[in-house]
Amino acid sequence: MSTMFAVGPLVHHRYGQIPCCLPPLFTKTPLKSSLNYHHRRTPLSVSYRRPVRTVRATETDATTTLTQTHQTTDVFTHTFPIRRPEKVEGKLIIKLDKGNSEGNWELTVGCTLPGKWILHWGVNYVDDMGSEWDQPPIEMRPTGSIPVKDYAIETPLKLSSKEQKVENLQRVKIEFSSNSSVAAINFVLKDEETGAWYQHKGRDFKLSIIDCLPGNRETIGSKKGSKKWPGALGQLSSMILKSEVVDSDGIERTDDLMGTNQRSTLKSFCEEHPIVKEAFVDNSVKVSVSTCPETEKKLLYMETDLPGDVVVHWGVCKDDGKNWEIPAEPLPIKTTNFKNKALRTVLQRKGEEGASSLFTMDQGFVGFLFVLKLHENTWLNCMGNDFYVPLSSSCALETLSTKSQSEGFIQNVLSDTEKSESSAISRGDALPDSTISEYTDEIINEIRSLVTGISSEKKRKTKSKETQETILQEIEKLAAEAYSIFRSPIPTFTESDVSEDIETKSPVKICSGTGSGFEILCQGFNWESHKSGRWYQELQEKAAELASLGFTVVWLPPPTESISPEGYMPKDLYNLNSRYGSVDELKTLVKKFHEVDIKVLGDAVLNHRCAHYQNQNGVWNIFGGRLNWDDRAVVADDPHFQGRGNKSSGDNFHAAPNIDHSQNFVRKDLKEWLCWLRKDIGYDGWRLDYVRGFWGGYVKDYMDVTEPYFAVGEYWDSLSYSYGEMDHNQDAHRQRIIDWINATSGTAGAFDVTTKGILHGALERCEYWRLSDEKGKPPGVVGWWPSRAVTFIENHDTGSTQGHWRFPGGKEMQGYAYILTHPGTPSVFYDHIFSHLHPEISALISVRTRNKISCRSTVKITKAERDVYAAIIDEKVAVKIGPGHYEPQHQHGNQNWSLAKEGRDYKVWEAS
Amino acid sequence: MLILSLCNFLAQKDGVRLYVGLPLDSVSDCNSVKHAKAISAGLKALKLLGVEGVELPIWWGVAERETMGKYEWSGYLALAEMVQKVGLKLHVSLCFHSSKESKIPLPKWVSQIGEAEPSIFFTDRSGQRYKECLSLAVDELPVLNGKTPTQVYKEFFESFKASFSPFLGSTITGISIGLGPDGELRYPSYDQQSKNSTVRGAGEFQCYDKNMISKLKPQAEALGNPLWGLSGPHDAPGYDDSPLLNNFFKDQGGSWETAYGDFFLSWYSSQLITHGDRLLSLASSTFNDSSVTICGKVPLMHSWYKTRSHSPELTAGYYNTDKRNGYEEVVQMFSRNSSKIILPGMDLSDDYQQNQTHSSPESLVEQIKTTSRKCGVEISGQNLMVSGPAEGFEQIKKNLRGDQAVDLFTYQRMGSDFFSPDHFPSFAAFVRSLNQQEWLLDDLPMNEEESPSRKNLQKQTA
Repeated sequence: MSTMFAVGPLVHHRYGQIPCCLPPLFTKTPLKSSLNYHHRRTPLSVSYRRPVRTVRATETDATTTLTQTHQTTDVFTHTFPIRRPEKVEGKLIIKLDKGNSEGNWELTVGCTLPGKWILHWGVNYVDDMGSEWDQPPIEMRPTGSIPVKDYAIETPLKLSSKEQKVENLQRVKIEFSSNSSVAAINFVLKDEETGAWYQHKGRDFKLSIIDCLPGNRETIGSKKGSKKWPGALGQLSSMILKSEVVDSDGIERTDDLMGTNQRSTLKSFCEEHPIVKEAFVDNSVKVSVSTCPETEKKLLYMETDLPGDVVVHWGVCKDDGKNWEIPAEPLPIKTTNFKNKALRTVLQRKGEEGASSLFTMDQGFVGFLFVLKLHENTWLNCMGNDFYVPLSSSCALETLSTKSQSEGFIQNVLSDTEKSESSAISRGDALPDSTISEYTDEIINEIRSLVTGISSEKKRKTKSKETQETILQEIEKLAAEAYSIFRSPIPTFTESDVSEDIETKSPVKICSGTGSGFEILCQGFNWESHKSGRWYQELQEKAAELASLGFTVVWLPPPTESISPEGYMPKDLYNLNSRYGSVDELKTLVKKFHEVDIKVLGDAVLNHRCAHYQNQNGVWNIFGGRLNWDDRAVVADDPHFQGRGNKSSGDNFHAAPNIDHSQNFVRKDLKEWLCWLRKDIGYDGWRLDYVRGFWGGYVKDYMDVTEPYFAVGEYWDSLSYSYGEMDHNQDAHRQRIIDWINATSGTAGAFDVTTKGILHGALERCEYWRLSDEKGKPPGVVGWWPSRAVTFIENHDTGSTQGHWRFPGGKEMQGYAYILTHPGTPSVFYDHIFSHLHPEISALISVRTRNKISCRSTVKITKAERDVYAAIIDEKVAVKIGPGHYEPQHQHGNQNWSLAKEGRDYKVWEAS
Repeated sequence: MLILSLCNFLAQKDGVRLYVGLPLDSVSDCNSVKHAKAISAGLKALKLLGVEGVELPIWWGVAERETMGKYEWSGYLALAEMVQKVGLKLHVSLCFHSSKESKIPLPKWVSQIGEAEPSIFFTDRSGQRYKECLSLAVDELPVLNGKTPTQVYKEFFESFKASFSPFLGSTITGISIGLGPDGELRYPSYDQQSKNSTVRGAGEFQCYDKNMISKLKPQAEALGNPLWGLSGPHDAPGYDDSPLLNNFFKDQGGSWETAYGDFFLSWYSSQLITHGDRLLSLASSTFNDSSVTICGKVPLMHSWYKTRSHSPELTAGYYNTDKRNGYEEVVQMFSRNSSKIILPGMDLSDDYQQNQTHSSPESLVEQIKTTSRKCGVEISGQNLMVSGPAEGFEQIKKNLRGDQAVDLFTYQRMGSDFFSPDHFPSFAAFVRSLNQQEWLLDDLPMNEEESPSRKNLQKQTA
């Protein structure tokens, strides 16, 4: 039975950390602990992964533990009380019955586990299309209910007096009329003692009274006739098995039932779900030591009332240093040697009462050290230290004495990590980015060679190679773990969601979002384009010219209603009348571009959205329009907007509420919106604004659904500078961009900000050597992942009238000579096309097109010196930029170069 | 188990104690511990590696964020507890500045006051405000809702002390007091967006707000030169300009060497020292019964060190030239307050400096170390480049060696770069080699070939 158990609020929570795996995507419930309800068929359901803690070295309170009995025969006994976690299994029973009168129903939720249980619940009303909870009408609330905020009710479960057949059954009964305006009842069960929440497959339990609820939800009780158990909590004995059946096919998606807006489906049922909670149970270990009068050997008898197989992981020590050693044979039966560091002995069961073993040791040892292992992952120790039993009564009993904190700590680490491997792996699995495990391996390899280094040193002190290796292994694991978390501060996310999607969807068509590979992009607007109010019409007049220049893709400004005229502060996403023109003009423009064979990118601002209304505190975070989200759509970590969503999965853009993409309803709405833009407006792809603001994995989700012909994200952050000077090596910068592309699984490319930055440095300061990285490749994103790099030298932010990071003046053509000859997909800025640079840009585009240079072309850097950079692309085009001299060499004997274009400080040749 | 003893062995060393800085944004502005899992794993790794402790920046803008006098320590307390659990020591840095890098602002209410009354900020010659920390000129002016910044800092100290008393002296061993921009005792002479500049320039004096001028004026008048008190120098170059431009810092016949220059620079630097004195004595008296070390950070203004005027130091408030050791007064001020100096830039080597900057980080570190040793003030080192190149480690080791040994070093800073496979192994090797130095001293005969870990490092960078 693969039930998971609820672990109460553990250490993490005390730090106020938002837990991972916040499951309830629709609840307003401020879940403190995460889920804990497990369902057989959904290994993916909110897997409650708390790596390091799944196994804990349970501490026992040993301060009062020691009792010592001196006996004449030199026997003394220690008793260690032990507190261990134990899973208690029980059942959660949900029953729907017809009530006393026609149209009345009773929902009963019961739980067989002892404890203080609270039903935390709310309802959906018929006309409320949102998925939020609301408080139920007064008449539905059982006595003893307490309202929680304005959207839920908490009702304690009470021991039922009537139904004595089930022991310890606590329950709560909710009565309602099927004619009321209540469309669904949502609930979770809360264990008040531990604060743990029990949910249904990581979501709220939901009883649909009317099958017209929106959303991709799973409901309970919506199964076929054969799975209905009319009434009767009395049939429990047979139900445990049956509940499995329910699990496997009793659950249907409401999607399938949608459209049948009927009340008729309400039928009685009763179902059970296994529920497991962790409780602490007290046991003890008793150790008696005596001396064998004949052999002078020490006899140690250990006895415990712990259930199950108890393994003693033990060693002996010769002095107070408590260094573990392994005694000579004979060893007790069922003893194995653990890596030459300790012994493991399985205690012999003595029927129900417990287990025991006898250990024999030679003279000369002063102490016996041990820890206990119960199951695969439960270790018991003594307040973070080993249990210690002195072997002679004469030596002082300073059992728990002076062990430093750090020692105890290490043990914890040890026992933790020993078993945390699996969790680390699972984390890796959860991330679609395989590089993490690669990196982890790298670290491990690096440190491993370090270990070899250490071991080759002949140190006299007491450090064996083995122990050092163990420590270093721990360090490397921990470092790798820290690295993977720091590196991808992905929230909680939705292991379950993704995997479910994968499960249910037919194989996703892979869309690389790179177009044909031969695309040349035009940014079709600047920062002033909104001013005329008729940009769509103006641009339309240029469509033919752009096509004849050789552009294949045009990027249009953000089309939605926006607080700022430029469009980057969107408000109502479905209102496409903007300062650039009306929605109809937009459609006409798109059509026009399509006529001249240019694909059109929509500028999608997904990171943030301006609100329509203020909340009760006067903060603007309530949205209107067709997507009338509330503050749960806003990330929680930007205090300006008091969002109630999860923490942001990226950087926050502080001027507007940042959208919480971890919310299912948000993603669903955005996907719908993007699909609508794609279909109704005719956009072929996307330019994605400010993608630093949210995790690339969500972008993948959007790309998978919208299947863009071409997609490019704006991941713009600062390059690295030291002392005001740009570093030569910008690998960290491009790595961040690559990381993002990776997170999208390559479904979108990204603007090559790195290349722009390095061009700045090279051109401004005449340091053309910067254009080659340490491996002789282009130093920008284009050097690492050319097919996903969209190279550019200027855009509406960096240049135009904003000029946040303007390309070195007068040197634009060097920049274009670079990006238009190199791999990657070049993007040319509107202002440059329609300026005096027009003829030169045109000529370079022709060279590119003529020689079929693509985003995947190869580049060979032939010179990267102070005043000149030169490269040969696909062996067909040679380019040099910078004032220095360069002429391409005749390479394979028969290759001649002819000058195709030259301008100030640049030259381009074609092979002939 | 055996492992325990080794761990202790690694940790037990008499020489340099090594600390590692926690991420700047360890505690978010909603007072939760960010990346708690990563930090917790990281702490364990550091402990096992034998690192003594960690440094935790505590931000004014987080702890006293909403309203004056309302403190929220919970996130930091949680972190302190994590650190204690792992058995590491903790050095906290009380940061009264904001951080653009990690997007930590000043307290909201301070920013609001600043909008109404911008002269609480430093002002440069062109009237630009530096809004990352309060101007030292308002230390004793009741600009914060009727209280002086000094009073506000004091209350902050006291609340901190009360909240962290269980940790003080045990887990928390040291407290750095934020003294200015980036926490450093200096004027914001170069911080304005100068990212496009090729080399760091002379910097600019920050004495043009009305409060600074009103302090300068009486001094000049007392000297009988009222004109000197009307403004700052007129012939100083701009932020990114070469100091050789204009007249003030010129090597020969620059205004800095004139009577006016001396008057101005003395006054300008004394204001800074008084400010440092004010805050450090406040801290010392607040924490004098807590057995923690009080520290303050001194910047390493190493550009143009090889010129005579040391312009970046002058504009930053250090009257240190080729003929005047400006650090003496500073170090004496630290000594008076039994405080320790934190000195960043121990990873910088002269070899990697651009020639045209006339920079010499090594000489400057040496000068400050020597001056401190004379006055018996201890120095804690720091690196400047976050997870910088491997050569940095060599330079750090060089600085930690020798008779003027620095007794504590804080490596900046934990984060994904720190744990990356590019960096962490070299850091681990660095820690090991620090320990190894002592081993080698202890165990003379086993001087072996260069540690294989170096090879490793090279292999990796290749």
